[in-house]
Amino acid sequence: MMASSSCGHEECWLLLPWLANGRLSHAERAGAEEHLRECAACTQELARQRLMCQVLTEPERVTYAPGPSFRKLMERIDGRAPARPQERPLGRRDAPAGRAVAWRPPGLAWAASFVLAIGLAAFAGTAYRWSLPRYATHTTAAGGTPGVLHIAFDRSLPVGEMEEILRSAGARVVEGPGTTGVFGIAPVTAAARLRADPRVRWVEPLTGTEESQGAQGRRTREP
Amino acid sequence: MKPTSYSDRGMVEPTYRGSASVAREVDLMARIANGDRKAFEELYNLYHRRMARFLTRLTHRFDLAEEVINDTFWVVWRKARDFRGDSQPSTWILGIAYRKARNALRSSARFGRQNLEAESLALTSDEPFRTEELRDWLEQALEQLPVEQRLGVELCYELGYSCEEIATIMGCPVNTVKTRLFHARAKLQKLLPQLAGAGVPAPHGAGRQAAQERQS
Repeated sequence: MMASSSCGHEECWLLLPWLANGRLSHAERAGAEEHLRECAACTQELARQRLMCQVLTEPERVTYAPGPSFRKLMERIDGRAPARPQERPLGRRDAPAGRAVAWRPPGLAWAASFVLAIGLAAFAGTAYRWSLPRYATHTTAAGGTPGVLHIAFDRSLPVGEMEEILRSAGARVVEGPGTTGVFGIAPVTAAARLRADPRVRWVEPLTGTEESQGAQGRRTREP
Repeated sequence: MKPTSYSDRGMVEPTYRGSASVAREVDLMARIANGDRKAFEELYNLYHRRMARFLTRLTHRFDLAEEVINDTFWVVWRKARDFRGDSQPSTWILGIAYRKARNALRSSARFGRQNLEAESLALTSDEPFRTEELRDWLEQALEQLPVEQRLGVELCYELGYSCEEIATIMGCPVNTVKTRLFHARAKLQKLLPQLAGAGVPAPHGAGRQAAQERQS
């Protein structure tokens, strides 16, 4: 049988809450109980302490359902909800925990912004080019020969009729036709007569700089 | 994780309200460390019931109590691997909850007003004693206590923790816990005539002894 020694009044008094809730060690309990046999004040205090335990462990009048709270927590753990509620007047924010979830590395945002800026710049350049008039060259320098007239007939004109026009003007075909239906004819002195014929769309002599410009072709704007 | 045996320390196995056995809670902690959500939910349900009442009583707001509980279990989920079984799961979890609750309460202006020393409202009643009535009086009286004393009372009387466990939870020496409870009891006796009973005063030496133990 283990011998138990009575503890002092002050020591027993301090231990009474845990004697009441049943959480004293065996040795402390034995010592306190020994003292209680001879101390009315501690016995009375123990009764009050037991009453405190009884009152505070009474069945709850309100039952708290854990389900909704647990779902909120799991949403937070899975990142589907903010780390902390937005409004919390009474509580201090747990900044490190909050930041751990809310903060994201800036790299991805910077990269996305950079790609977007490059794309916008490229689009602006393309749009500017599209807004400018587009030109096409219809004759080539190789086709241009000094002392030659370039002539274009109405496209519906039969070949025989073209030959008749040239013959009547005293001209002959010396080049062409090119891909655009332009002929080179000679001599250049036939130009005035040919221009008077309504079946001729245009006639241009190639001389000097004019010849050079004409060799590069008349520039016409395409729609 | 190996649980510390209560019998090895000559102590009584805890019987917290709504608690599972210590071995069961250790098993749940091990599974949570491996990411087991079912185990996490089971542990959460056990502690939610245990913590909701005293936190709601402490904060007077269920939403804040719930926030403290969820902040606590947020840490439990993330740090379960760090739990080595040096203490009981319940002591470890309540230690986290204690720090969260204390921080929430200290930052509350409302609580700051309550915590002023000067206020000392005597709660008296000529009505016959009833347990339910005493509980209402007691809840009002607890509000008069400083937060550390109040949490000590809740952990001891309501949740049934030992003095050593409360010291671990609060991160303070055992003698500090005894001192806090001593002063809390003295103040509650003044506030609650029902508890004062025949008016037996606390031994003067007990307070001095507690103070001396705390200093030693």
